[in-house]
Amino acid sequence: MEEICFDVKNVNLFYGEKQALKNINMQLLKHKVTAFIGPSGCGKSTFIRCLNRMNDLIEGCKVEGEIFKDGQDIYSAKQDIVDLRTHVGMVFQKPNPFPMSIYDNIAYGPRCQGLKDKKKLDEIVITSLKQVALYDEVADRLHESAMGLSGGQQQRLCIARCIAMSPEVILMDEPTSALDPISTAKIEDLVLELKKEYTIIIVTHNMQQAARISDYTAFFLMGEVIEMDITDKIFASPGDKRTENYITGRFG
Amino acid sequence: MLVNKKRVKRNKSLDKFFHGFFMAMALLSASFIVIIVLFVFAKGISPFLPGYEYGQVNIISFLTGSLYRQDQGIYGIGFIVINTLVCSFLALLLSFPISVLTALFIAKIAPKKLGAIMQSVVELLASVPSVVYGVFAAGVIAALIKDLASSLGITTFGGSSMLAVIILLAIMIFPTLTSMATTAIKAVDKDLEQASLALGATRTQTNFKIVLAAAKSGIFAGAILGLGRAFGEATAVAMVAGNKLFGPTFDLFDITRTLTSTMLAGLKETSGLDYDIRFSVGLVLIAVIFVSNWVLNYVKKKVGNN
Repeated sequence: MEEICFDVKNVNLFYGEKQALKNINMQLLKHKVTAFIGPSGCGKSTFIRCLNRMNDLIEGCKVEGEIFKDGQDIYSAKQDIVDLRTHVGMVFQKPNPFPMSIYDNIAYGPRCQGLKDKKKLDEIVITSLKQVALYDEVADRLHESAMGLSGGQQQRLCIARCIAMSPEVILMDEPTSALDPISTAKIEDLVLELKKEYTIIIVTHNMQQAARISDYTAFFLMGEVIEMDITDKIFASPGDKRTENYITGRFG
Repeated sequence: MLVNKKRVKRNKSLDKFFHGFFMAMALLSASFIVIIVLFVFAKGISPFLPGYEYGQVNIISFLTGSLYRQDQGIYGIGFIVINTLVCSFLALLLSFPISVLTALFIAKIAPKKLGAIMQSVVELLASVPSVVYGVFAAGVIAALIKDLASSLGITTFGGSSMLAVIILLAIMIFPTLTSMATTAIKAVDKDLEQASLALGATRTQTNFKIVLAAAKSGIFAGAILGLGRAFGEATAVAMVAGNKLFGPTFDLFDITRTLTSTMLAGLKETSGLDYDIRFSVGLVLIAVIFVSNWVLNYVKKKVGNN
């Protein structure tokens, strides 16, 4: 029996007058990798940002509908946003390490929650770095600036920073679009490794990537979900003509 | 044919002309700086040279002296340098936290409209002439200090005091610090803020730990500019300093004397050594600013190296 992580019901999103998401309904399963694909401007990034309420930061952005996580609507007034974000981590398109040391980058989240115990922080930093296979590369320079790392290393650091909070879900918004093929392959391996422990939702422009790493795929177009199914099925025999056109490269 | 050979030639010579013209303008303005420095240097160094017409001054006792009495011909400015440094740094210390928090409020916390209004108020403050700050300091700050001191049982010279100078300077450098800090904070990459918020940090944690940390280099640059202004401010400072004859002054309610107020006081009613020595004081002021800028830039590099 598959457990549901997010249950999305009739979500509409507006930027001012403009409607960016139209009546989204889907269930996102725990410990699976779900990929959102679709052409630029189709709303996939906008939607992933609904799941940790990052859209709240955009002025004039209004969300209607409900998104249930563990039985609670995260858009209800009762929801503590800070608490939500400690459970739903996010990795961004561009690697964005803080201008501080590697160690402090990873310790940042736990420290913000009031963790001061040096031993515990050390442990979190090391296990997080090991989980993203970065530890061996940076073990001797944990206290040097994170800005000195390569793009791929920075992105893995950002994932480690996210893991340090031990979230349930990791949202990834085109995490490899700024990276070279080798770094991309490392991140993809990492995603497959991480899904044992975390629920992963990933937005990607790269259809091969979606096919390689995801269990489920949702195809977005013009703010709507055209089709969502098991990834193999979407790529082998899409149910909608528009999905087929997109994944065979006829547009987008 | 689109290319007209005559035209091309003319354009080329026009280019050459403007190249020379701009160069001449740049050289002219650069030469002003050279001329000013050379003139002040020549005039300022003259009292220490043998054969000076009003009697040679010993440069060591000038630089280290703790008594400045033009009526007796004693010119020692060591204590004045210390006073200047103390007043300026204390003013910076007072103004810095207020400025940074104001900038944070303008750039990050205030609703857009209020932020814009506050920013134009700060810019307005920067354009108030220093003599206006001076009369304000003499009329309001000094009066308040006088009352405060007398309630503590301390007599002041009508409120003119080191404290008045510090408060005045703190107010005067506030706009510089704030607008530089606001610019620096606004320039912080939004991605960093988002990353912090996405990690479950609160707005306040994000502002202090990420935004300010990322903006620190620009904020520091503002502090350096502000300190330069504090060192160089003459008119307003002279109105509340009280020009003490000896020192250094460390009592907040006592009168003080800064390099600028020394240069300014009675400039028009004097001649001879007392006139020339002001150029020497000016040279020392330039040196003080130069050295402290250098030191602060060094610190900035160290702090910013993250």
